[in-house]
Amino acid sequence: MTMTIAAETAAKPARARGALRRQGTLVLRLGALAMFALIMAWFAFTTRGFVSPANIFNVIEQTAVMGVLSFGMAVVLIGGGTDVQTGGIDLSIAANTGLCAAVYATLLAGGSGDLAAAAAAIGTGIAVGLLNAFAVVRLGILPLLATLAVMNIVAGLELTVTENQVIGANSTVTQLIATGRFLGLSVLAWIFILFSALMTWAIHYSRIGLRLYAVGGHPEAARAAGINVGAYVAGTYAFSGFCAGFAAILLVARLSASTTATGQLLLAILAAALLGTVFSRRFVPTAGGTILSTLFIGFLANGFQLSNVSYYWVNGVQGVLILMVVAVTTFAKPQGK
Amino acid sequence: MSGLKILAFGGAAFAAMLSASVTMAEELSLEGKVIGITTIRSDNQADRLFYQSAIAEAERLGAEVIALDAQSNDQTQVSQIQTLIAQKPDAIIEILGNIEVLNPWLARVKEAGIPLFTIDTTTPSATNVVASDNYGIGEQLALKMVADMNAKGNILVFNGFYSVPPCKIRYDQMKYVISNFPDVKVIEPEMRDVIPNTAQRAYADTSDMLTKYPNEGDISAVWACWDVPLIGVTQAIDGAGRTGIRTYGVDGSADFIAMIEDPASAAGAVVIQDLVGMGKASVQNVAAHLAGQKVPPFTYVPHLIVTKENAAEVIPTLPSTD
Repeated sequence: MTMTIAAETAAKPARARGALRRQGTLVLRLGALAMFALIMAWFAFTTRGFVSPANIFNVIEQTAVMGVLSFGMAVVLIGGGTDVQTGGIDLSIAANTGLCAAVYATLLAGGSGDLAAAAAAIGTGIAVGLLNAFAVVRLGILPLLATLAVMNIVAGLELTVTENQVIGANSTVTQLIATGRFLGLSVLAWIFILFSALMTWAIHYSRIGLRLYAVGGHPEAARAAGINVGAYVAGTYAFSGFCAGFAAILLVARLSASTTATGQLLLAILAAALLGTVFSRRFVPTAGGTILSTLFIGFLANGFQLSNVSYYWVNGVQGVLILMVVAVTTFAKPQGK
Repeated sequence: MSGLKILAFGGAAFAAMLSASVTMAEELSLEGKVIGITTIRSDNQADRLFYQSAIAEAERLGAEVIALDAQSNDQTQVSQIQTLIAQKPDAIIEILGNIEVLNPWLARVKEAGIPLFTIDTTTPSATNVVASDNYGIGEQLALKMVADMNAKGNILVFNGFYSVPPCKIRYDQMKYVISNFPDVKVIEPEMRDVIPNTAQRAYADTSDMLTKYPNEGDISAVWACWDVPLIGVTQAIDGAGRTGIRTYGVDGSADFIAMIEDPASAAGAVVIQDLVGMGKASVQNVAAHLAGQKVPPFTYVPHLIVTKENAAEVIPTLPSTD
């Protein structure tokens, strides 16, 4: 009897807390959207040419590489769960892109065909993804640490391939990606739009996508339902590696070369993927959220440029966004999985 | 701070030389004009002075300036150039960067009908390129180095930025000069200078090479196309107490100048560029072009060499900003 009363009195604040959280998440989602809109409006009114169609299409094109990588990260977050400490994360994704770009550019510069070079770049990306998968799924290392270690291995490999040099590369395919246009939009912008559409279907409407949410959200229930949780989690890292390889091809095409400092993309990718979680009720990444956040970060950098605000601030703002999202979602997320 | 001289080149002698090389018969104006200025980086003295002096000069002439610093990130610089094109400014000044990455994008600037001016980026798309005479710099520095070596010995070369046009020219000129001296050899493989942590990394790499080549005479000179890595290199040589090695570079970083001034240091010679003059010259050329004047395709801004031998005489004539 005493225990029942105690349980009930404990349940009341818990229920109240649950209601508060539900309201909180709604406020948060609307707040995030309002913040996006406000910042965009501020740039539109204060900077020259921000809302011109040329500038908007430029930003879509500029975010294509980051968009592909943000989807790679989002899939890892979905499959591994969004717990900040133990959940899925791929810190090696940007460094992996750098390595794949180095492989792609080196092969093209050495006279390899487009197909062989592209296959090698994507193969390299997937191989690194499988290394992450092995470390996380087989060895049971926390993804945060496993992918951090792999990031360093991969960054070292990139330096070995490139000797920290810019490697120029040009081919029919890279030319097409860099300069081609279709219906008034650049090929890169089209690639981002089509890739986003494909990912929206894969994440939200395909069987694999739905199972992936189950694996990330309730691994035990997923396992009980007969889903091979390990294979799905491993698959997310392999997919993230694929995204790195694919993004590397786009990057080399855009820059006519593989360059150093690709690893610096990590902060923006993390910010986009984590910010994307704010738009779902359960704070998990969604396709819409990922697209919106990627574009937001692209427009933020663009708006800063046009306002003559130093680019150094962009890194700072991305860092603050990550902190805010992690702090807010940790508070607002329902207890337990 | 007495040793820390920021060399901003305002000296009368250099000003006189500079005025001869820049088209500025009368004071030009950029009133009502929008000028985009983009640089690959501004975190070392040379890059910073190019960038800041161009901004200051454009603002002094009344222009609205959109200034973008890509923080050493090629992808960022490409995005920034693309953003600038969409802004349709009256002219764009591009400073430094990797030519292979830049060339297709600079061609787009030209295609968009925006006059392009560059500093240290030799490209067919530019209306005018401001640079030091890097051919002369490369040759003068290499000849000084070979002379100090008595035309015999091994050179440790830092060659991490061959894709940056001034570095390519200076390196090629150095190789051309030493090709005529059969007893002068470049140690293979060459070293790679990096950004960021340039001086720290060069210090560590040099320490390793001093261990690998432990005897006096194994290495006679260290060469780099700029002087920030040489700050680390020279500190490593001086710290190890090695003699018989001299270091050679370009730009005129305050720390490296101070080392050349120090008779006990391994710093051998540096070619000093008129960094502020180059930024100003580019803006003056923009103003002249927009005023309908004819602008030459190249503006070479004078340089001078500071060596152990002439340091006492030349360094005091360089203006300091501390």
